Amino acid sequence: MRRTVLSATALACTAVLASTVPAFADGPSPVPAATVTPSESPAPADATDPSPVPAESEAQAPGEVTVVPSGAPDTGVASAESGTDGALIGGSAAAVLAAGGAAALLVRRRRATTA
Amino acid sequence: MTSLSRRAFAITATAALLGGCGGGHRTGRSPAGHPGSTTPSARSTGKSARALGRSVPVGLEIPDIGVDTPVIRLGLAPDHTVQVPPVTAHDRAGWYRHSPTPGQTGPSVILGHVTVGAHGDGVFRHLARLGRGDRVVARLENGTAAVFAVYSVRTVAKADFPTDAVYGDVGRPELRLITCGGPRTGDEYRDNVIVFAALTSASP
Repeated sequence: MRRTVLSATALACTAVLASTVPAFADGPSPVPAATVTPSESPAPADATDPSPVPAESEAQAPGEVTVVPSGAPDTGVASAESGTDGALIGGSAAAVLAAGGAAALLVRRRRATTA
Repeated sequence: MTSLSRRAFAITATAALLGGCGGGHRTGRSPAGHPGSTTPSARSTGKSARALGRSVPVGLEIPDIGVDTPVIRLGLAPDHTVQVPPVTAHDRAGWYRHSPTPGQTGPSVILGHVTVGAHGDGVFRHLARLGRGDRVVARLENGTAAVFAVYSVRTVAKADFPTDAVYGDVGRPELRLITCGGPRTGDEYRDNVIVFAALTSASP
């Protein structure tokens, strides 16, 4: 009787253990499945996410300024001649004034001598 | 479907123009939202042209000031300022190659000298005489031409150069013509003259 009870208990334990083994075996299989599914799901998500971003930047690329320069453009070189021209004009104006003054002095002197 | 997309484009373009031009009276757009700016003329607002494909400019015509010049390519100088055309007797305008080509969406930037030292007048000598509605034609490498209408002419101190207004995004095809102006200090000019124009049409 005792033997039968013991053997029954042993059988039950082995049965439980045997049942737990496939349970352990079943356990890992969903784990990879679970790891596979997330790994798959981010992969397409990542693949789809970046693709629109370059597409948008490419769409914007054909227009607008890509590199903004700094400062103001130097689009005018004043001629050095203009400075010399100015000096010439000033010099000639001074010469004309001097000549006029000299003429006025001469006229005065002549008038003074004739008087 | 195509008619629908055309309608959608037309509505979008009209809305953009209305929003951008403030109904053709005073501009509310940020790039041109500056004192002294004038709005696109009826010519430019009425004929809202579609953006063109990329094609490098090879020539520029401004009939009102007698400009008909080849256009060269310009990049950046080592100090990160924009390059300018070389100072030569046969002065030419230059297109800043990091800006859109004329007719593409965005501000296409073309520069020219007001004077070229001992050589005399530059190609943009009379740029400041332009006014609202004046026509500017950019001849493109693919044989077509982009026609623009001036909507604003500004003279600004170089120290306060409006970088955003010149180079900032505009969302439609525009043109910037830049030269120097104002009083001279030594052999340099104090100001920049900037012409703002919007695309009105494209001719084959």
